[in-house]
Amino acid sequence: MTVVELAQSLWLLVAALGLAFSVQYAGLPVLGQGAFVAVGGVGTALLGPGGAGWPLGLAVLTAVVAAGVLGHVVALAARRLEGAYLALATWALAWLVYRAMLAFPSAFGGAQGLVRRVPGHLVSPALGLDWTLTPAVHVGLAAASCALVIAALIRLDRGPAGLDLAALREGPELAASLGIPVAVRRRAVLTVTAALGALSGAGTVVLLGLVAPADVSPLLSLQLFVAVLVGGAARWWGPVLGVALLTALPHLADALPGDAERARGVLTAALLVVVLVVRRVLSLRPDAAPPAPRIAPEPDEAHLVAEEHPVLLRARGITASYGALRALDGVALDLRGGQVHALIGPNGSGKSTLLKVLAGELSPDSGAVEVAGRVLAAAGPQARVLAGVAATPQRTVVLPRTRPARQVAIAVRGGSRPRHAVARHLLATPSSRVASQRSALMVRAALREARLTPVADIDAAELTFGEQRLLQVARALATGARVLLLDEPAAGMSADERATLRHVLRRLAGNGIAMLLVEHDMRLVNAVADRVTVLVAGEVIAAGRPVDVRTDPAVQRAYLGTP
Amino acid sequence: MDLGVLLQALVGGLATGAVLGLVALGFTLVAGTVRVLHLAHGDVVVAAVFTGVLVVLGRTPVATTLAPGPAVGFALLVLAAGAVLSGAAGWLAVRPHLADVTRGRATDVVGWVAALVAAGLLLREVLGLLLPQEAYAVPDPLRLDALSGSGVFALPGGGSLPARVPAVLVLAVVVGVAAERLLVRSRFGRALRAVADDPDAAALCGVPARRVVLLAFVFAGLLAGIAGLLDAPGRALSVDDGVVLGLAGIAAALLGGLGSLRGALAGGLVVGVAQSLAVTQLGAEYSDVVPLGLLVALLCLRPEGLRR
Repeated sequence: MTVVELAQSLWLLVAALGLAFSVQYAGLPVLGQGAFVAVGGVGTALLGPGGAGWPLGLAVLTAVVAAGVLGHVVALAARRLEGAYLALATWALAWLVYRAMLAFPSAFGGAQGLVRRVPGHLVSPALGLDWTLTPAVHVGLAAASCALVIAALIRLDRGPAGLDLAALREGPELAASLGIPVAVRRRAVLTVTAALGALSGAGTVVLLGLVAPADVSPLLSLQLFVAVLVGGAARWWGPVLGVALLTALPHLADALPGDAERARGVLTAALLVVVLVVRRVLSLRPDAAPPAPRIAPEPDEAHLVAEEHPVLLRARGITASYGALRALDGVALDLRGGQVHALIGPNGSGKSTLLKVLAGELSPDSGAVEVAGRVLAAAGPQARVLAGVAATPQRTVVLPRTRPARQVAIAVRGGSRPRHAVARHLLATPSSRVASQRSALMVRAALREARLTPVADIDAAELTFGEQRLLQVARALATGARVLLLDEPAAGMSADERATLRHVLRRLAGNGIAMLLVEHDMRLVNAVADRVTVLVAGEVIAAGRPVDVRTDPAVQRAYLGTP
Repeated sequence: MDLGVLLQALVGGLATGAVLGLVALGFTLVAGTVRVLHLAHGDVVVAAVFTGVLVVLGRTPVATTLAPGPAVGFALLVLAAGAVLSGAAGWLAVRPHLADVTRGRATDVVGWVAALVAAGLLLREVLGLLLPQEAYAVPDPLRLDALSGSGVFALPGGGSLPARVPAVLVLAVVVGVAAERLLVRSRFGRALRAVADDPDAAALCGVPARRVVLLAFVFAGLLAGIAGLLDAPGRALSVDDGVVLGLAGIAAALLGGLGSLRGALAGGLVVGVAQSLAVTQLGAEYSDVVPLGLLVALLCLRPEGLRR
């Protein structure tokens, strides 16, 4: 391998590491890294020496910033949670850039591409600098860039950004419900990816003195995509291995019969298939039998009806409909601190809809939700979490590859967003250390409250079902919420686990937390609730202490039919 | 711009657009039913055509007029190849990555995205190895050129149009509307909508959800084959043309609101006319740039389409 080839591979690694940040760390399917490489290369060639004549450093910087802006804009396509649109947008961008380079030869030099003089020079009259960029210098520059990016990736993954990334990658829906601004984070990630892609393109054009459409084609995008899939999630060495494979690819292609360009394409597709098959086989680990419940029940503490606490959440006149179907009709509800407030009613009575309205996932047609005396617009779960209201999903959502303690830490991060936490952690400022200690304390406290301390650091896949449900409570609590909205937390729990849940809820109430409990198990409701609201066909038909509601004739009619 | 040129651009654009509408219809069908963006759809169109070319004319095809027998064989082959290739993409590339409730697995988006681009790449490059020329003239089994003696229609205002263009427009619109009606009215269409709403509930109600998913891909492939038959003979076709064709079809589907069948057909007409006007007004170099740019802009600004 010549020095030039080594430098070229190292510059390619910069682009691969940048792409890995999106694909392997944030779980975003980005198929257009070649387009960002092209922006860097073409931008540098057009603006720098031989083009518009700007100083080389300034040209590279401008191209990198331009690619970052482009990445930021394209990431708008990832507003929806599933992220598949981003694959489409970046794939279309890869083809747009490639075809535009071919279609406008006067600007981009056609199939030959843009040719510049090598070696490049970094000149700064102010500093008295004139540095000739020989291939050996390129090796140094590119290797230093790679080392810097790898160090940053490792450091980022250990700090608050690592929590964000794990949440984005493994459960964007959950991340949103815990207050993490998914769209904003995705945009930041793609901006970094695009900027590193452009840096790679700029370095390559200065090294080779050439940027041709065939070198930054959609095939390059796919090759880089394969390269980062090789390593698996959040491992920095994946792209290194992948780029090593890519370097070997042309030599293999030359050995095959037929057109070398085509053979490279076939090999890329074959590599992609192999990686996918391996990835799939690894994900099909045999399902272990679910572990037996291991939480020992504790005797119930006698619970006294709490004296009047302040109202933490107040809903007034909530009306909501799906098309012509009116799901809620003028529902009012007060949640007081220190109280478990059960919401019961037959299926289809509007319990889940009310929960969605309170959690900010659905805007009501009319009515208002006040938290601690302030009216909140239905601005989505993030704003609710910051206002101190967190909901647990009805379906169990557990991030399969993240330890329970770390999942709780994600919630702490979602609930308290100090400014520039990522940058401060990257620079290891004293304040970031204090913040991480505080966060660790909050994680421990939430795990203790939910009685999960013994299983805090086990593999999340080994949690029993009851522990998974408790983990949902712990995560909601760890956001710092004073109001918890719990959707059937006992569903699927064993009797022992229900006893533990009862215990956990009463302790939380003792700490002044307000809870709304949607539940079908009337024994649990009777044992744990201070207040009960009965919803039938979208209207509150009874509300009060469990004893009174139980004997209410209207409730008996609704549940048992007209006598 | 004089009237003749405008008419020429308009009718030509509508014809291209009606064919794009067929591509978009298949795409939107799959997206609506399976919640998967069929990234290899355009490659299926082109690969279906070249499968027919390879079987009927061999590896060194020359532009010829096919005798009636081979012409029918060629057309049927292209349709079958479209259905089989698309079905294979659905079965081999997409299905393993879909959500599986019984195993408690969520849909693997990175997985199906990667598998579909791999499928498209494989189709392009294998065909490229077999057919090394830059582009090929594809025979027209329907002989639409023979509709007028001179092979062209004169337009008011002095312009003229290849005879096949209005024929393609009419045929593509008829096929598109018929397919749309079929999907709305038939049992198959109802099953598709049931699976689209909730695959698990549909399965509980006795709808064979897996088979319906496969059939959505196969039906999209049939439409792709028809689109290929109508579109390919009008131009020099390259094995790499599929991607941009597919992406233009996706732009049409998004424009009409993803999941809407009529929207896809209408979106195709809009994209076709926009492309045609760009080419006549700005120059041929804009023929790919316009639909691709439109797609990127749509995805970033209005992914839910223009109708909402």
